[in-house]
Amino acid sequence: MKRVLPGFGLSLGFTLVYLSLLILLPLSGLAFKASSLSFEQFWNVATGERALAAYRVTFGASLVAALINAFFGLIVAWVLVRYPFPGKRLVDSLVDLPFALPTAVAGITLATLYAGNGWIGRFLEPLGLQIAFTPLGIVVALTFIGLPFVVRTLQPVIEDIEPEVEEAAATLGASRLQTFWRVLLPGIFPALLTGFTLAFSRAVGEYGSVIFIAGNMPLISEITPLLIISKLEQYDVVGATALASVMLAISFVLLLAVNGLQWWAANRHHGKERVSL
Amino acid sequence: MSGTIVRRANAEPRWLRVTLTVLGLGFLFFFLALPLVAVFAEAFAGGWGAYREALSHPEALSAIGLTIFIAVVVLPFNIAVGVAAAWAIAKFDFRGKSLLITLIDLPFAVSPVVVGLVFLLIFGAQGVFGPWLAAHDIKIVFALPGMIIVTLFITFPFVARELIPLMQAQGKDEEEAAVSLGASGWQMFFRVTLPNIKWGLLYGVILANARAMGEFGAVSVVSGHIRGETNTLPLYVEIIYNEYNAVGAFAAASVLALLALVTLVAKTLVEWKMRQETEMLETALPPEKTE
Amino acid sequence: MSIEINGVGKRFGNFVALDDINLTIPTGELVALLGPSGCGKTTLLRIIAGMETADAGHVSFGGEEATHLHARDRGVGFVFQHYALFRHMSVFENVAFGLRVKPKHERPPEAEIRRRVLDLLKLVQLDWLADRYPSQLSGGQRQRIALARALAVEPKVLLLDEPFGALDTKVRKELRRWLRRLHDEMHISSVFVTHDQEEALEVADRVVVMNHGKIEQIGTPDEVYSSPASPFVYQFLGNVNVFHSRLHGAWAEVGRESVDLAEASSGARGQALAFVRPHDIDIEHAPMSGGIEATVQEVHAIGPMVRVELAHASELVEAELTRERANVLNLARGQQVWLKPRQVKVFNVPAVPLEEGGSGI
Repeated sequence: MKRVLPGFGLSLGFTLVYLSLLILLPLSGLAFKASSLSFEQFWNVATGERALAAYRVTFGASLVAALINAFFGLIVAWVLVRYPFPGKRLVDSLVDLPFALPTAVAGITLATLYAGNGWIGRFLEPLGLQIAFTPLGIVVALTFIGLPFVVRTLQPVIEDIEPEVEEAAATLGASRLQTFWRVLLPGIFPALLTGFTLAFSRAVGEYGSVIFIAGNMPLISEITPLLIISKLEQYDVVGATALASVMLAISFVLLLAVNGLQWWAANRHHGKERVSL
Repeated sequence: MSGTIVRRANAEPRWLRVTLTVLGLGFLFFFLALPLVAVFAEAFAGGWGAYREALSHPEALSAIGLTIFIAVVVLPFNIAVGVAAAWAIAKFDFRGKSLLITLIDLPFAVSPVVVGLVFLLIFGAQGVFGPWLAAHDIKIVFALPGMIIVTLFITFPFVARELIPLMQAQGKDEEEAAVSLGASGWQMFFRVTLPNIKWGLLYGVILANARAMGEFGAVSVVSGHIRGETNTLPLYVEIIYNEYNAVGAFAAASVLALLALVTLVAKTLVEWKMRQETEMLETALPPEKTE
Repeated sequence: MSIEINGVGKRFGNFVALDDINLTIPTGELVALLGPSGCGKTTLLRIIAGMETADAGHVSFGGEEATHLHARDRGVGFVFQHYALFRHMSVFENVAFGLRVKPKHERPPEAEIRRRVLDLLKLVQLDWLADRYPSQLSGGQRQRIALARALAVEPKVLLLDEPFGALDTKVRKELRRWLRRLHDEMHISSVFVTHDQEEALEVADRVVVMNHGKIEQIGTPDEVYSSPASPFVYQFLGNVNVFHSRLHGAWAEVGRESVDLAEASSGARGQALAFVRPHDIDIEHAPMSGGIEATVQEVHAIGPMVRVELAHASELVEAELTRERANVLNLARGQQVWLKPRQVKVFNVPAVPLEEGGSGI
């Protein structure tokens, strides 16, 4: 078919070649390498005691961090959209700091803050709460790096809520809490879930900010990416490959989940629009 | 309409508003503001002199140079492929388009450590091309080329992701008008398309740049940590932090934090500029043709 | 320059947008492509412009084959529905664009470009807006700039996609007249797409009525309005009463004297439909020969006309009277009256359900 606008072949061809050479072929290289392991080899590494502990730490901490982010992210997004306060623009820009700040910097800074003699740690230590160099520290680091995801996915959705909807609920006798729970939350829930999944997905793969604050004790505070690195440092390429392919498979699943959620959110939105006509 | 103006019926009771504001801002204070302040406080803990000394160390300087060099090499590639992908996706219909959009997001989903490992498996000594590379005396991993390649991988989605929705929203009317008025492909691109997407492009470049300069995990795997040679600034921070040189580590970190602040300011300015333009269009131009 | 379209067809997946279209647009004419949305008129226009490729058939300009010519090389001026002005360029630069992108050896010198752009802006009466940006213009002004921009490259034909669609009623009427005058001055073959029958009838030399990817009728505005070739055209252009077959006998009696119904009534009697425009119906208090009896349901005075809704059996009939006639009749709700058409048209085919425009009964 002839197209009026030029450059379709060039742009799509260039994109596909670039994508294939840089992303797809290397990733399938990993899958290929993993498939050259015997199943037993693979299974022993992927479900070894240390690996299982690392999954537990990685996914447990990521889940807790993403939940914290979902809760506070909803509040932050709501406050940023709805309530006036001085310095709002500044605060709004600051939300993206975890995207802009290199993870290594975040790692050493959080480790310093939450250490026993740090600005925050010195107040928590007397309460018996040790954060740095424990799994709690991992949660802190992952909360930091996942913070913008929930806020940034929710903000536009909250902005788009038509005031009429809430007013209608109010005139129908709903309390503010009922309105939020029954009218507003169902509307923003897909976005909240998307933000949560994005934060979780980012946290699972995170390395830089965690290693400084985690303490990195095998079986207790060792995350999977770190385990991959330590296998590599011991020249155990097989072990690293097996673990990496597990991580890669999980990344795929999470990516598909995010896509599915976004599709769901978009289609719900369409349905809503049709009704409001 | 501004989101801050909310009608009476929709307002929460005062105590709840105050509680939520305090909770939200308190969370941001402890997780964002305090760490940011702490970087600079720690960096200057030994005074201005120690700070300057830490940063003028030859290894620090070479790390800064390498970080900038990698970003400068990587960004043109990001721009080229980002614009190409967005052009194909936003202006044409083809099979597998949504799959392509998903694949563009892939680098965001993969752990940086896995990315590093992937290229180690390909170009490393025991990798697919390892023996061939060794025979021809070409070094890719534990050297600059490997660091550039993983950075390309990590930063791949930024520009395209910014441009795709923007160019989709703009439609193809203006480009078709340019073609019907006799413009050639490149004339159309440089005179009509590029001016329309320049802020979105800049936005994507700012984000890609921040990530390129700050990437740690992936670069760490393939760098080999050769001091003064393959250490970018984030890697340098790690090394001297592990040597218990807190002032030196935070001095280097403060440079990166400054970069982050510049990124945030630039990002805010570009966002403001883009919002201004879309608002102008929304109030003025009729909606895109939906037929 | 004339435009010839031979056997053009176009599908989008399973949807037939255009089906074997044959059309000749003589040099210097202003032609309207009229039809409901989805009838293929915009697709046809875009195929003429080279923005869309036909699956079958040929397009030629002045006898020269243009089917495979790129949009860039067709020498058409295209005015987009939503104008597609370059938002980052001033009005002046928008109009100058087509001249500036010419290859170096064809490009006029800067002074010449300036002169021509200013001339065009004067022609569209907007020379005082040269330094503004598109977002600072009103809809009507943008429309005229889009036109000036299309004219700058001295196109052989001018194509306009719903040129007045996005404007409000008053501006639309002004621009219509203005476009007609402009066309009379420039005498460039022009085609515009519209779904508004009034617009097509008022502005065009010739109207092409389209439906479901086919041409229903080609003719002057008077021809398509006064002697519609199909039930669709009848219904699409203006209000009409459709009388179903069981009434046919009565109307055929009425019409026999004024309209030749021999063919229709000799054919499939039961399937015929009679079409009568509301203003072609006479109302009398006394029985007329061949008239039918009806009850007055509603009487509305609308501007210079009086619209009367009548019921005959279960059918609703709409009639339009002049104010004088209505005053003489002095109709009231519930009155028994007699109807008689002055003009009736009988088709043997079933009426096409109306999608847009006009209103049938």
